[in-house]
Amino acid sequence: MTFRARLLLGFGAVVLVPLTVFGWRIRAVMTNRVTAEYQQRVAALVSVIRADLDRQSAGIALRLGALRDAIVQDNEFRRATVQGGDRSHLLDYAGDAMRLAGLALLQIQDETGRIVSSGHFRNEYDQSDPALPRLLAAAPAGTALVEARTAEAPFLALARVDSVRVRGRLFTLVGGMAVDSTFLARLTPDSELTVEVALPSDTSSAVDPATQVVSALDVPFVMAGDSARLLPARIVVSHSLASLAALRRGVALSFLVAVLVTGLIALLLASWLSTRISRPLTELAAKTADVDMDRLDVVFDSDRPDEIGALSRLLEAMTERLRAGAARLREAERRLAMGDLARQVNHDIKNGLIPMRNVFRHFAQAAGEGAHQLAAAFQDRQATVESSIAYLETLASNYARLYPQPARESCDVNAVVRETVKRVGETGQADLRLELGEALRPVRTDPLVLRRILENLIGNAVDSLAARAGNVTVSTGANGAAGVRITVADTGKGMTQAELNRAFDDFYTTKPGGTGLGLSIVRRLVLDANGTLRVETEPGAGSRFIVDLPGGGA
Amino acid sequence: MIPRHRCVIFAALLAAACRAGAPRAELPLPPPAPAPGDTTCTIAAGRAVARDTITFAVTDPVDPGHAPLPRNDAERLVFGQLYESLIRVDCQGRALPGLAATWEQAAGDRWAFTLRDNARFWDGAPVTARDVLASFRSHDATLAADFTVTGDRTFTVPASAAPFQRLADQALAVTKPAPGGSWPIGTGRYWMTSGDPASPDMLVAQPMARAGYPVVKVATVPASAARDALDGEAGVLVTDDPAALEYARTLAGYADLPLEWNRTYVLLAPGRDKPVVGDLRLESLREAVRGDARPAEWSGPGRSWFTDLEPCGVSAGRDTLGAAGRRRRIVYKQSDRSAADLAARLVGLGALGRGAVAAGVPATAFESALRAGSDAAYVVELRRRVYDVCRAALELPPWISAATVAPLLDVRSHAVVRRGLTRMTLDWDGTLRLSPP
Repeated sequence: MTFRARLLLGFGAVVLVPLTVFGWRIRAVMTNRVTAEYQQRVAALVSVIRADLDRQSAGIALRLGALRDAIVQDNEFRRATVQGGDRSHLLDYAGDAMRLAGLALLQIQDETGRIVSSGHFRNEYDQSDPALPRLLAAAPAGTALVEARTAEAPFLALARVDSVRVRGRLFTLVGGMAVDSTFLARLTPDSELTVEVALPSDTSSAVDPATQVVSALDVPFVMAGDSARLLPARIVVSHSLASLAALRRGVALSFLVAVLVTGLIALLLASWLSTRISRPLTELAAKTADVDMDRLDVVFDSDRPDEIGALSRLLEAMTERLRAGAARLREAERRLAMGDLARQVNHDIKNGLIPMRNVFRHFAQAAGEGAHQLAAAFQDRQATVESSIAYLETLASNYARLYPQPARESCDVNAVVRETVKRVGETGQADLRLELGEALRPVRTDPLVLRRILENLIGNAVDSLAARAGNVTVSTGANGAAGVRITVADTGKGMTQAELNRAFDDFYTTKPGGTGLGLSIVRRLVLDANGTLRVETEPGAGSRFIVDLPGGGA
Repeated sequence: MIPRHRCVIFAALLAAACRAGAPRAELPLPPPAPAPGDTTCTIAAGRAVARDTITFAVTDPVDPGHAPLPRNDAERLVFGQLYESLIRVDCQGRALPGLAATWEQAAGDRWAFTLRDNARFWDGAPVTARDVLASFRSHDATLAADFTVTGDRTFTVPASAAPFQRLADQALAVTKPAPGGSWPIGTGRYWMTSGDPASPDMLVAQPMARAGYPVVKVATVPASAARDALDGEAGVLVTDDPAALEYARTLAGYADLPLEWNRTYVLLAPGRDKPVVGDLRLESLREAVRGDARPAEWSGPGRSWFTDLEPCGVSAGRDTLGAAGRRRRIVYKQSDRSAADLAARLVGLGALGRGAVAAGVPATAFESALRAGSDAAYVVELRRRVYDVCRAALELPPWISAATVAPLLDVRSHAVVRRGLTRMTLDWDGTLRLSPP
């Protein structure tokens, strides 16, 4: 991972993590506080409902008391119940009384539990339901929920019981108020609060604690039927958390936007900062890479007061020492090379002179034997002499090529490349390809030097193909603002690391008949032209020789 | 002031007449002429005093679309003045001339009828035998198919197995369509006008013959306003509201005359052999309704007409829907208070078991629901007396052949008649008609 990437990640983490933690914390605090407030509202409503039920119960008791007094005073009721008078009056009595008293449920039973008049269900007369008043009387506070029957549908009511004696007969009065949707809606101040009655027979609970705040109030319920008994019912108050969920979504969205915006700003800031930090380092790395490629003329000049400035100055000092060391090394190499060369020249010249000395000894011997013998000896050994002379001439030429005197003039790289490739290509030994860059600036060097560089590199490339199918590509292009890059690539056999390590040594060759001086000369010529030479090679895949020449030819 | 003893005598006569006129399944053909001076089917409260206008107050709606076949007591009272059948059958079951003045047996087992000389439609057109044929075609295609016109005012019809009295059925009243599509044009002594602009809720019927007949106004009032009608100008109030009747009995100017037990409430339950009400104490139904009611009974031979419809080709069918596919509710017509009380009582008695309910629906929806038969049971009001059982059976739902029919209650209305009012006659089916002056 690059320094820049690490810097970006670190910067992002430093900015986003605290922001995320902050947002999460805000949400948690907000949720807790709102939920607590909802719980307070629900608890308050439960208290209100409890008080309201007590008030309703007291109201029912009051109405039943008034009815009790009215029944005692009603002679027609007395006649109908005791003396068997107008039965229709009795049947309609509870209905009329219920409406006048403002009740929703009224049932009058005799002492046997037989319904003698029913206000909410006129035609259930003569039915027997003794359990209802008995259970209501046993209920805590005398009040309970009952499921009142009607012809159309049963309804839930909050009921109480009272009794009245008429001529010794006991009649029970069951009166109540409807606990219907209107009754429940009246208890809820807003739409988020819901009041529901959960009867014991309700097996499914519609309340989800995850989405609602719930509290409940226990109320006795008269379960009718063959096994009539009192069971606990619950008035469930719930507060929807929908608004809280919406609030949380809103906060989450706001924080998400904030995180994105902050992250974007942090990214831009980190990018700018990393660029400011990494650019000098990148430049130092590039210069160091040049140094690594024997470009010891690189200058690490910096007047920055920070660590990068100190590093630059340190590298400059190191490069300076490298330059001195390189100079000493070159001198040592030169001396070593000169020694080797001298020994080689001595050896080579001796190799050329020995046959000639032998020939002259032969001539001397023949001359002693007569002119005829001398002529015959000359005739006989002329080829040897010429061969030795040619050998020496060749040797001289080879040595002359070791250190040519380059000229410094403006040179069109593409023109030299074209000409060299054309000339080398005439041999037809390989498939030569040209990829020339356009609008190359001229370089300041000797065209002959450049041609020698190219001849050696192209020749080596062609030789590396070693009669196998392949090609050699010579390409040119700009290198920086003014420099030119020449690349000679082949698909030949490539070099091993060991071969590469010695490729530029004098007289090192892997080719039969090679002099071992080609790449050595190329390297020297390139350095003399203030250029650099790099090699990229892979055994079996080929090699790329990259020559970078500085500009300045205009 | 009418002496009290005369009212008592009148009431006793009327009660005797109704008992004497107990319905019979098939009435023998009586002599066409009534006995002179026979007043057994006459209703009169005191000496009649000539009046220009008589107001009928009714508590049921009157729908011209039902004419000429009445669907309630109010329509029976109104349509009885407007439309005529060939014959009438008085409260004792005697056939009397109606639109037909005379009839006699003719060759080929037929009845030959002669129309009344002065029989005219409301528009003044004389009633001909072809008019009768055209009317029958629209009401009874079978009867019309064997109708033979023998003269301008004479025709013959076959003497079928159905009783002769079937020709008194109001469904066979002779009418012709009105151009405006409102009241069908009849041949009765009254014709219905377009009403009184000053009182949109008031129907006004004008007599065809000006001499002696008063103008009849029909005021439809809610039951709660029936007492107001008595305090006003109502000449006749037909109602079953006990409060109104109780109030009427306190008024010296009115006589409370109970009419015939002419309706029976039955419980129709799709599916046979289902004792929907078998174990229930139906004797307690009487107290369930507010009006005048009694346990359903049939004092004539055989059973109630709606319990034996096989002679009409209604054979026992199969219940294809099944109990599981029906809603457990007892359905009744919302506007019928007695039906609502009966349905509630049946629910209170557990007729369909625990959880069943009573459901009142509007009249139109009730007709649809009854026809569909998709509910467990229906409380239906049926005519107790019909001239033609098979014709009346057509008014029952199509699934009647696979239904359980349980008679519940007989009910009747009362006519509260202002003393000194024009006399009226009572027909066997409970129709009241103003007598000629």
